[in-house]
Amino acid sequence: MKTTKSPSQLVLNGLLNENPIFRLALSMCPAVGISTTVMNGLMLGVAVLFVQVCSSCTIAIIKDYIHPRIRIPTYTLTIATWVTVIDLVLSAYAPVAYKAMGIFIKLIVAFAIITMRLEVFACKNTVTKSFWDGMGMGLGFMFGMVTLGCIRELLGMGTLLGHDVLGFRPLLFFALPLAGFFCVGFMMAVFNYVELVFNRRKEKRA
Amino acid sequence: MKEILRITVGLTISCILAGLVMGAVFTMTDKAKKHNEQMDFQETMLGVLGYSGSNPAPSDLKFHSVYRYIIRDQKARFLGYMVPVDRAGKETYELLVLDLEGKLKGHYDVDISPAAAMEMPQREEALKRVLNPPNVFTFADSFIVAMLGSKRLAYLMPGEFPGFKTFIRVMLAVDPHFKIKGLDIMEQEEDPGLGGEIAQDYFKNQFIDKSYDRIKSLKVIKKPLPADYRTYLEREKGERHMPTREQIEKTQKKYADSDIYALTGATISSRSMTRGIKNMVKKFAYRANILDHVIARGNIPVVF
Repeated sequence: MKTTKSPSQLVLNGLLNENPIFRLALSMCPAVGISTTVMNGLMLGVAVLFVQVCSSCTIAIIKDYIHPRIRIPTYTLTIATWVTVIDLVLSAYAPVAYKAMGIFIKLIVAFAIITMRLEVFACKNTVTKSFWDGMGMGLGFMFGMVTLGCIRELLGMGTLLGHDVLGFRPLLFFALPLAGFFCVGFMMAVFNYVELVFNRRKEKRA
Repeated sequence: MKEILRITVGLTISCILAGLVMGAVFTMTDKAKKHNEQMDFQETMLGVLGYSGSNPAPSDLKFHSVYRYIIRDQKARFLGYMVPVDRAGKETYELLVLDLEGKLKGHYDVDISPAAAMEMPQREEALKRVLNPPNVFTFADSFIVAMLGSKRLAYLMPGEFPGFKTFIRVMLAVDPHFKIKGLDIMEQEEDPGLGGEIAQDYFKNQFIDKSYDRIKSLKVIKKPLPADYRTYLEREKGERHMPTREQIEKTQKKYADSDIYALTGATISSRSMTRGIKNMVKKFAYRANILDHVIARGNIPVVF
């Protein structure tokens, strides 16, 4: 299933049509657990974006040499290698960022979204296409995490990026893991509704 | 059969490749990483003593590490303190072996420089040369003596204790009378917005300036934090209106003997912190007194 989409279409696809969190409902654990603040969401988003792009490109390059029976272990190995590389490099050259992101980075090895993109996309398409697809998926994930972080930080703690915005805490409940599910569900509903309206308009025009 | 072989070879090659990449990156970054960790530790140490960029540490401030080991032979258990000593103008280490009653059983020269002693493997290598089998030893903890000139300024203790979710790692500074001088949370994974607030000034600064006698009976009270106390605790942050010097002194006196005000919705984290700090200080005071006693009686030429 080779794709014929252009780079911009691929990126948009990851951001909206196939948004990892809100449309594909993948990688829900981090989405629920870590999206308590905007900064957390952004940090994890950046890390995932990087690993996704690197892994997608690697697999696109070596896809012809992978034995089909061991493709999943190979994907995991590729992801784990990239995660380790980022972990080591950040801890050595960007200690401040690493302090904030450290615990998130190691989590990425187990992210469903990355393995899934390698399986459905990178192993069938060229390096350039895979790069843009990885970009789209990574940005989509980041977008999702930041949106969730905004909602939860604002409602749970009354702050945004650590700055006091509201001056009081509206609903402490949103800072708790449970609220992550509510937020994800709510955002999914928003996405579905937008799609519904969009399709209806399209039909009317046709 | 051919298929299995191909799979095996394929997997092995990919593993080797991945290993090579990771190994190469590790060798390239290891030095920088260790350096960062040390700098970070140093910065935390200066931070809990109240030194920062705007208030730099004096040049005659020196740190000396003491390492505590549990030593076992077939019959009994002993405590081993690796203390820095001055030998003909050179700083090296000596191992003091104490029995459980706190009596000095013997002391041995350990030939290691302070810089090398910071590294666990090198330290244990040096200890092995001194302690022969059947003695086995395990590392317990360490503390650091901060010296200003020839005066003891503070003891620094890196330590950890269980919190609500997992261990909370802290760096604690106490003055020679075991009054708390500074506290920094180095690592914690409490719930953000709830227990995570233990790292905020308005909670952790409540411990500062509590005397040793007060710490012994310190407990957590479930009352809202008074507004004036909060302003006082957060005075370094520079947000809210700054209190005047007089106000600071007044508030300090008013709340000097108060208990710890619990965090809203995180009583367990607040209690764990209080219990943890209390235990750390109490145990340390007990050990430090014994060690000082032993050093004075044994005429050990320690550098602190």
